[in-house]
Order: sequence, then structure tokens, then C-alpha cells
Amino acid sequence: MRRWMVWSLAGALALAAIAQSQGCSQRMAGASGSAAQRVYVKPGEHDAYYAFLSGGHHGNIYVYGMPSCRHITTIPVFTPEPAVGYGVDEESKEMLKGFTWGDAHHPGLSETDGDYDGRWLFINDMPNARIARIDLKDFKTRQIFGPIPNLSAAHACPFPTPNTEYVFAASRFSAPVPLDRVVRAADYQKEFRGIIAGIKVDPQDGTMAMGFEILMPPFNYDLADAGKGPSHGWEFFTCYNSEMAYDSLELKASQNEMDYIAAVDWRAAQKAVDEGRARMIGGAPVLDPAEVKGIVYLFPVPKSPHGVDVDPSGQYVCAAGKLQAEVSVYSFEKFRAAIDAGRFDGEKMGVPVLPYETILEAKVPVGLGPLHTQFDDRGFAYTSLFLDSQIAKWKVGAPWEVVDKIDVYYSIGHLMASEGDTRHPTGEYVVALDKLSKDRYLNVGPTHPEGAQLIDLRGPKMELLYDFPTYLEPHYAQMIRAEKLKPITVYPLAENTKPHAIKRAEDARIERKGRRVDVYMLAIRTHFTPDVIRVNQGDDVYFHVTNLEQDDDIAHGFGINWSSKNMQIEPGETKTMHWKAEKVGITPFYCSNFCSALHQEMQGYLEVAPAGTPIAAIQRPDPARVAEVAAVLSAE
Amino acid sequence: MTRYLFGSFAPAQRQLIVVAAVLLLPVFFLPMLPIWHLYMVAPQYPEGLTLHIYSNTIRGDLDKINILNHYVGMKAITPGDFGEFSYMPQALTLFGVAALAAALFGRRWLAIAGWLAFTGFAAVMFNSYVQWLYRYGHDLDPRAAIKLQTFMPPVIGFQKMANFKVWSIPGIGTWILGFAWLLGPAILWLERKAPAATDEDAAEAPDAA
Repeated sequence: MRRWMVWSLAGALALAAIAQSQGCSQRMAGASGSAAQRVYVKPGEHDAYYAFLSGGHHGNIYVYGMPSCRHITTIPVFTPEPAVGYGVDEESKEMLKGFTWGDAHHPGLSETDGDYDGRWLFINDMPNARIARIDLKDFKTRQIFGPIPNLSAAHACPFPTPNTEYVFAASRFSAPVPLDRVVRAADYQKEFRGIIAGIKVDPQDGTMAMGFEILMPPFNYDLADAGKGPSHGWEFFTCYNSEMAYDSLELKASQNEMDYIAAVDWRAAQKAVDEGRARMIGGAPVLDPAEVKGIVYLFPVPKSPHGVDVDPSGQYVCAAGKLQAEVSVYSFEKFRAAIDAGRFDGEKMGVPVLPYETILEAKVPVGLGPLHTQFDDRGFAYTSLFLDSQIAKWKVGAPWEVVDKIDVYYSIGHLMASEGDTRHPTGEYVVALDKLSKDRYLNVGPTHPEGAQLIDLRGPKMELLYDFPTYLEPHYAQMIRAEKLKPITVYPLAENTKPHAIKRAEDARIERKGRRVDVYMLAIRTHFTPDVIRVNQGDDVYFHVTNLEQDDDIAHGFGINWSSKNMQIEPGETKTMHWKAEKVGITPFYCSNFCSALHQEMQGYLEVAPAGTPIAAIQRPDPARVAEVAAVLSAE
Repeated sequence: MTRYLFGSFAPAQRQLIVVAAVLLLPVFFLPMLPIWHLYMVAPQYPEGLTLHIYSNTIRGDLDKINILNHYVGMKAITPGDFGEFSYMPQALTLFGVAALAAALFGRRWLAIAGWLAFTGFAAVMFNSYVQWLYRYGHDLDPRAAIKLQTFMPPVIGFQKMANFKVWSIPGIGTWILGFAWLLGPAILWLERKAPAATDEDAAEAPDAA
């Protein structure tokens, strides 16, 4: 008996050892196979990461799988996308408020305790000072907040705080506050101001609401990052043009040795607003740091800094002066001590300035044109070098040295490491997001695609794995472990509470009230019910289409001929689309999203009668047809 | 023969009847255990579609299957159409109670009658299941978009139907039910192996009862 136990124990240990070595060899294989093997994801298998790349002036988000670098989908955000009816159906039209363009720069995943929680993705529209929230349950844009009052060009945006308490925005192009004042650009220093806005995020549903605004000197606020760990409660913003030039910025804004980082104590700012110390301007509570102390500080950064990034420990704030060859690393501890000791070096329009040398921890000579920094899980930082077209890897901590460099193609802007701006980066990959692609892909004429490279961080040296083009124009991106997201595949019909939803064939109908016609329509393989709709010329017709499918990937489209009206309705979803009956005669409509074997048959006719032709107040489809449809639906 | 039928069981056999009763009761009384499964796999449904038949309802991908079936004019599968579901749990609970009574009173005739009725009922239910399959495969709407030859879905086992591979497999409920049913002949066989004990018990039975 005892011998039996000893043997089984030995067997279990041997199995555990094998499992251990398998695990090890897998991790090593990940870092050591050929580059092709390391990016190859077998047909039918899934990537390890979702990557969200901003679409730049395309106004949307591109979703990629990593490490295969496959483009999976595009999420429309600030720009209409008629293929799915984004900006066409009433709800998304309302959300876009008439804008047909946005410039989306910085995706920011929601966080809990400083790590991605996979709930929402925020993204800014710089020119129109808007922030969108995408729900990662269905990858749909669910809220667009803004234009944010008083704020001009939300570039330093949204950069969520560690528990997604706030997202931020700051003026890249300072402007008169409030914005509707008539002033001349020459009155810049007197009349223009920057704004830093803290936008509150509801912890339950992610809804954004105005928190506070801070009136800042008219610098150009550029990028931001949230403090974490010891620096939790602070948000850091770089700025250039401390020269306060309003023309020829290329020269005039590059003269000062030092520009600044603005550090905002967002809890103090919110408290001041809650205590009623703000003035309402343009609908936002604005705090003037000349009157309200202790909410914002400036500290000097050499030579027109661009990116600011807080290391995973939350101890160091790294800023790259883009006209300099160094990254300046500041100690949060020293920053805090200097504030507590009241060691200020004057102030700018009421904002205290901290002395550079007292809070500087190190200067790391990374190379030319440093822009942004990301981190791994082994104490290294990775800084993009625009002019050198390289990424520099350096040690966070003494001796603050560069240990490796890799070429990228070409002129890298942002870079994105796997979960590389959180408290726990995974340290597996970094993606270089390049501004130029030049000769890297098949020539498609003068409008070149943008370029990107996937780089393996797991070995002692960085290693280029893959080169992939993207459409215009990713700036920043976020990469999250795939298992953190659990998106739905259909909208449960039982949870569809849209007021115009219909769930039974018997409810399909056409109602008229004056010139308004409401069509309550259902779509299910392979028909619309009702599919013959009679209206009068001049009627405003609202199609409320419910897709009664509950099967994966059975979306239906609803497109109307001779119009710009089309939308896609996902299984279980109800969407409303407006169409004006302008011409007398017959107008066909059809399912524009291939759904099934008889997709071609999924169509119908709009009969437009001359204005004033009598039409029943309620039209219902043929009862026999309703019974047939009802029979298929009755099982549930 | 009469003596045999009106005789009673030995404690071991009575315990086995209790086992049969205990097995029967939860299966049908609590409609938790499926009695039959249909699994359907198609190229565009690699994850498969399933129907799970319980003593009182059908669950699974009913809505998806009905939408697909409407292309070939098959009648929608609706649990409300099956009269069997309204009495099957009660009827089978009754067999469980009968087995329990047989164990309690120890009377051989009660056990045999119960077992025979149970067997008959199972045969009727199985036949009705076959009839339903037949009807679904034969009562096809002549106006259907895709016109199929009438067909018989697999009663048990595998069959390829159009782009679907279909497996029809008894569920855990049926396995338990089958085991309980097998206990009937098993008990009689065990008695044959030890007739002495049976006679002895038969003599003592009136006191025991």
C-alpha cells in the first residue's frame, strides 16, 4: 500500500515537472521561433491580444489582432459609416450632432486599480473637442461627450485615471474663453487661455459628465498621462509654446529652453468645484488657479516636450523634449516634497512653477526626436525616436542607460507596448506606429498607407517580427489581453426595451399621424414584414426595424433605393431610420447585408401616392402572412 | 403460479425495487434530466445546434432551428404542440410510486404489473417520438422555398441531411430509466438464483407486512 502511494506521488511529481517544462518551452518558443512562427496564428485560432488603433482623421477606431497583425474590424466613432447606418439611424445621428468629421488620436481603455478592465474604450476627437465612449460589450460607440465648452482642440485627451474616475481634455490651440468672444489673434497673451477639463466617468455605466475646468496660461497643451500608485490623484499634461506665439509657431514657439508639464491634482480641483469656488463659463464650472490654489502646478521640461508617461510603479514621470536628445525623468516623491516645502520658482498666470533641478531624477540620452515612452514588466522603458526612426530601450533606474535600439520604418510617432501604460505591462510586444511608410508596401500612388511594426520584447534584444500597413492614420493605440474582453454576439431580444421594438408578427404595422408615418417592421430570414408600404408624397417616414434573429452573425441591412439611407440591424436590435417620401411612384428597399440563402429575395416596395391620397391610419400586413411569420416565431 | 405472483420479495430484492423507484422519481418528477438529444452540425454551424428533449418540454436552439426549418417548409417545433408533455412527468412519477409501493408491500404481482405497465408506457412514448419525427419530416409545406423529398429524421444514431450532420442520442434520463427498467428482470433472475430465500420470505411475509 505504501509503495503504491510512493509511486503515485512520484508519478504526479514527474507529470508536474513535464507540465512545467512544457510551459517553459512554450514561453521560450514564443520568444525564440522564427519571426514568421511568432506572428502566425493558425486558421480558426484567435490572437492573444486585441489592439485598438486610433483612426486619426478618419475619425474611427481600427481593431487588430496581435500578434498576427490582422485587421479585424473598424468601429465608427466620429465619422458617419453608411454601411452600418452609423450617423444615418436616428440614435447615432443624434450622437454625431451633425459632425461628419473627427480626428481621433488617443484611445484609452478603462482601468481598475491601474490595469485595463476591458469595460470601455475612450477616444478623443481633437478638432471638435469631443470624447467618445465605446462599450466593449458590443464594440459600439455609446456616447459622444462634447464639444467640451471653452476648450479648443482636445489633443491631451482622454488618458483615463487608474479607476477611470476621470478622462481629461486640454486645449492644444488656446483660444478666447468663452469661445464666442470677438478678439484678434494679436491679443493672444491677453485674451487667449488654455483649458484643462476633467470629465467625470460614471463607475457603473461609463457615462461622461462635466467635472471641472481649469483656466490655464495660453500654451499649447499636448499630451497627458494619469499618475498611478503613489502619484494616483494627479494628471500630467505636457505643453509647448510657453512663448505664447500666435503665428509662425514653427520658429517662435521653439525659442525657450524650457516649456512645462502641468500637474493637476484632480481631487483638489473637483473639491473646489463642489465647494462652489468655480465660475460658470459656457456651461462649465471653471477654476482660476490665480484664485484657487493647490489644484495645478507647472514644472519645467526642456525643449518643446511631446509625450508624458508615468512608469508602472507610478514613481517616475517621463517627458521627452522633442527638440532634444534626452528623456527627462522626474521623481514624483521630489515633486510632492517640493510642493509641501513651498519651493516655487515664481508662477505663470497664477500657476506655481516648481524648480527643474529639485524634482529631476535623471536625464536619459535616448537619441534624436524622442516622443513617447512605454514600459514592460522587467523595469525597461521604450521611447520612440522620430528623427532617428528608432525605438530606444532603457533601464528605469540607475544607471539610467540605453541598453538596445531597433530601427523602424519610418518616422515613428507613438508606440504601444502590450498593456504598456498600466501598472502591470505584459512585456511581450511593442507596436511602432509610424508616420511614413514610403517604400514598404506595394505602391498605391501618392497617398501612402501608414506603416506599423510588431516588435518582440521577450528576448534580451528587441526583434522586428512583422510589418503591416494601416489606413489613415493611427496615432496612439492600446493593446489588451484578449481574455479580458467578453463581447456579446447577439443582443438578447428579451433585453430589447426600445420603445419602437416589435417582437411579434402581429405587431408589424404602419401608423400615420398627419404627415408622419411610423413603420413597425420586423426583419428575420428572409423577409421584412410589412414589405409593401403605402405612403403619401411629402410624408416623413420613420422605419423602426427590429431584427428578430438570435443567431450569431445574422445581421440584416435595410437600404432604400435612390437615397443615402441605409442601416444594419444586428440580431435582437431595433433601429430607427428616417426617409422623406419625395417622389411619387415605386421605390424598392432591400436587405443590404448578405444574410442567408434567400437574401436576394429579402426586399419590399414603398408605394408613394400623390399627396392627399386617402390612406388608412393603420395598415397591417396580410393576416395569412402574419400567421406564417408568427408560426416560425412561436417556439419561444 | 398464483402463489408465486402473490408471494413477496426477499429484502435484497425489495431494496433493488426501492433503487428503481428512487431512480424513476427524480428523472421524471423533476424535469432536470434530458431524455433525448439531437445534435446538428453544418459547415456554418461548427459549434452545432442542439435540441434537448425533457419529460415536459424541449429546450435548446429551438428558435434557430425553426428559422432554418422554415426554408424547407417544416412545421415549427413548439413545445406546446406536444400533448405528451402534459402527462409524461405525472405518469412516470406514478410508476415510481408504484415501485415504491411494491417495495413497501413486497408483493411480487404489484412489482410485475408495475414493470409491465412501465414497459408498455415506454413503448407507447417511444412510438409517439418516432411519429413526431415522421410528421416533421413528411408534413412539409408544399409552398416552401426549398422543396425537399420527404424524409425520416434519425430515430437514434447518425444521419446526413442536406448540409447538416444529425446525431440522435438518448439522454441521461433515458439511461437512468433503462437501468431502472432492467432492474425488473434482474430481480426475477436474482430470485431464481436463490429460490430458498424467496420461499422462506414468502412464509414470513404476512407478519412482515
